[in-house]
Amino acid sequence: MVKSATSLTRSGLSDFLLQRVTAIVLGLYTVCVVGFLVVTPGVSYEQWLAYQGSGAMRLFSTLAVLATAGHAWVGMWTIGTDYIRGHYFGRQATLARGLYQLVCAGVLFIFVGWALELFWRL
Amino acid sequence: MILFGGLLFALYALDLSLSGPEGFAEAKALLAAPLGKFIAWALLTGLGYHFAAGLKHLFLDWDIGDTLAGAQLGARLVIVTAVVLSALAGAWLW
Repeated sequence: MVKSATSLTRSGLSDFLLQRVTAIVLGLYTVCVVGFLVVTPGVSYEQWLAYQGSGAMRLFSTLAVLATAGHAWVGMWTIGTDYIRGHYFGRQATLARGLYQLVCAGVLFIFVGWALELFWRL
Repeated sequence: MILFGGLLFALYALDLSLSGPEGFAEAKALLAAPLGKFIAWALLTGLGYHFAAGLKHLFLDWDIGDTLAGAQLGARLVIVTAVVLSALAGAWLW
């Protein structure tokens, strides 16, 4: 029987660990970016560009983009396998969940491509 | 789910704000308009709650707060923290 064909790492324990590592990365990134905006009221374009365009921030942003993709995949997978199942959806559950995950994958693919292009053109 | 949808909105605003001085002004205007402010506030509220609940999960992983009383306290702390963060976000935006 297929147990975890659509989880990110095909292992619950690895997904569990990945979810926590990416959570810490994203938590730190959020605190940094929101923190910068809070301590820089009325931020100018030059300040914003200098901040986001610095080498360190571009690397950090790249890490955060990849972490977002992993974290969101595991999170959306969890929602999907919790709620889109036979109990609620009957015999169409597997098809419905497959379509749902296809949409998730598509959105994340667009997100990653767009975000990486954005940060590295700066 | 809201955060997932918010990803693309936030990315659009970020892209606009870093597309040049005109785009930056446009993004600022977008976030100053009532609808843009509300969406930004809703996203920050969702993010604040997710952040607080996520921290609780990390504590639970370390066996902190995993008794019945501890879990009830943890759940209350998460709600209180999320409401406070949401209010702070609102005060910051308006």
